[in-house]
Amino acid sequence: MKTKNKKSSETGFFATLFTVSNSGEPQARRDPTWMRILLSIIAFSFLFGFLFVPLIAVFSEALSNGWRVYCALFIQEDALAALRLSLLTAAIAVPANVLFGVAAAWAITKFDFKGKSILVTLIDLPFAISPVIAGLVFVLIFGRHGWLPEQELGNFLAPLAALSRKAADAGFFEDIFRALTSWLDEPRIIFGVPGIVLATIFVSFPFVARELVPLMQSQGRDEEYAAITLGANGWQTFWRVTLPNIKWGLFYGIILCNARAMGEFGAVSVVSGKIRSETNTLPLHVEILYNEYNSAAAFAVASLLAMLAIVTLGLKSFVEWKTTRT
Amino acid sequence: MSITASHISKTFGDFAALDKVSLHVPAGKLVALLGPSGSGKTTLLRIIAGLEMADEGSGHILFGNEDVSLLPPGKRGVGFVFQHYALFRHLSVAENIAFGLRIRKGPERPSKATITSRVQELLALVQLEHLGKRYPTQLSGGQRQRVALARALAVQPKVLLLDEPFGALDAKVRRDLRRWLRNFHDGIHITTLFVTHDQEEALEIADDVVILNSGRVEQVGSPQEVYDRPATPFVHKFLGNVNQILLPWEGIIQGTKVPVEENVAFVRPHDIELLRPETAQPGALATVLDLHAAGPIAKIAAKRTDGRGIIDIELPRAYFDQLNLREGDTILLRARLEPVCQTILVTKPPMT
Ligand SMILES: Nc1ncnc2c1ncn2[C@@H]1O[C@H](COP(=O)(O)OP(=O)(O)O)[C@@H](O)[C@H]1O
Ligand SMILES: [Mg+2]
Repeated sequence: MKTKNKKSSETGFFATLFTVSNSGEPQARRDPTWMRILLSIIAFSFLFGFLFVPLIAVFSEALSNGWRVYCALFIQEDALAALRLSLLTAAIAVPANVLFGVAAAWAITKFDFKGKSILVTLIDLPFAISPVIAGLVFVLIFGRHGWLPEQELGNFLAPLAALSRKAADAGFFEDIFRALTSWLDEPRIIFGVPGIVLATIFVSFPFVARELVPLMQSQGRDEEYAAITLGANGWQTFWRVTLPNIKWGLFYGIILCNARAMGEFGAVSVVSGKIRSETNTLPLHVEILYNEYNSAAAFAVASLLAMLAIVTLGLKSFVEWKTTRT
Repeated sequence: MSITASHISKTFGDFAALDKVSLHVPAGKLVALLGPSGSGKTTLLRIIAGLEMADEGSGHILFGNEDVSLLPPGKRGVGFVFQHYALFRHLSVAENIAFGLRIRKGPERPSKATITSRVQELLALVQLEHLGKRYPTQLSGGQRQRVALARALAVQPKVLLLDEPFGALDAKVRRDLRRWLRNFHDGIHITTLFVTHDQEEALEIADDVVILNSGRVEQVGSPQEVYDRPATPFVHKFLGNVNQILLPWEGIIQGTKVPVEENVAFVRPHDIELLRPETAQPGALATVLDLHAAGPIAKIAAKRTDGRGIIDIELPRAYFDQLNLREGDTILLRARLEPVCQTILVTKPPMT
């Protein structure tokens, strides 16, 4: 009886909140005009102060010595090397995380298995953890006093090194296998490209899975079941039913993952030795230039990252437009 | 090709969704699997299709004489239609229907021209000839379900399994579509198992009805059999309205020897006879509480004067008009004695 009373008083409350007024417009929609204007002003000044001003500052500072100087900065070997390394890192980390993200989302949403909730929680780990710690973890594992120091790793990899050397000696893709052999002989992870790639994979791995899991959950499993009863095998079901259904969500996850992979500073900073032209990514290069009081160059490189952000946002709104339209 | 399920059990954790369920769908027949929500209908259908595995060693699924228990769904030759259509949303109607043929490999795969003409045939069969180029979102619910049916039939399944195919549709479309399905089935005679929780739907279109409750089969029979001779109290209550008459029912029910320790009788409202109290016949006295005379059947609720509950009565309109009843009138009630209509069943007290 008591709960019933409470309920009816609640409906009464909502009823008064939403009663249709004499003018025929619900009261809830008649917020005072000044309130709406005030809220809009607050929102826009925030956006302006924290997003537009810095963006404009980056570009104006980068262009402070004119276009000619701006363009010249990119022809510098160091900047180009940093750009190349960032692209290489993203080119490895993004596909790896797409593979992982799709597999994890598929497993989580289409199958029931033990340990599923643990997997779901683990996916969020990189969001919860400070990137610096993410970097330190790899130092802890592969560092001199770590669990698997690089020398020991070298012992592990010795058979592979021998194999690779044989291939190189036989003249089979000689250049590649020579390089591989010399790396396998003395594997370097920390203060090297492999460490940077690993740290980047770690910090950017939630994006694809996080995008896909809710989407695939809302779509359910019936379409896959329908395909299976029609005779499709697992592969056909994935390519012809699952993938087309998630393609925009996947694309969205990929651009976010890529933005993070290219832009990551903290984790990469810990594992990179910051050796110019060798283990410097774009964000690290910005820092180095800035610390050398070369602010025009620093901002020029930063403007590249800013453009990446703008492109990412543009693609993101395109995907949103595309998916709400259908 | 007939479907036989024998002693199928399925447990989720320690919850028994199906408990040694057996059923048989004769070749070419339309059988309804009827039961309330949560009774295990979908689970059974999915086990028959191979989308779910029955408990280890619990039973077998046969299509004709072939044991298909261990075959994957794609090899069983089933057409499955889902409650929420499950059409491929990124494909057009025609592409949806062609899906099962296009994914075939090697010599089993028909030529493009064959597929196109087969799709046209199927579109005509489900009366959607002109909608092949549309996408699922551009169709009504009833149209979508017919596309789903055409898609299932495209691979020429041996049996057709429909999981509440009209469950997501509104009442009018539902009625039209189930007549349509019955006619459709009369045309192609494919062995069909049809799941529904709507007893009216099951009784109207099925050749046979299998009634499922809490993972167990309660009764199997033709619609008339299960309606007129319910085997269990559950079936009694589930199929149409029924009065649960508590002791003492002397007066209401005659000619039946009732064991004393059991105290509920089930009588359908139209099997209650209504008499004037002055007729000196045996019966139970009651007071009219409520009268509803809209439509061909008049509905009366009467309260027994001995305080043993309320009894619902249904009468043909013409007879009701003759009686000229008012609220508050005293009447005499008794169960009819005709053998078919006399549906008295005695059980332990209902759990409430
Ligand atoms: N995958 C599952 N895991 C756990 N319980 C399930 C699962 N599938 C079905 N059930 C349970 O089994 C029972 C029967 O379900 P279902 O076959 O869907 O019933 P119906 O189709 O008759 O409504 C329900 O109580 C449901 O909660
Ligand atoms: Mg169901």
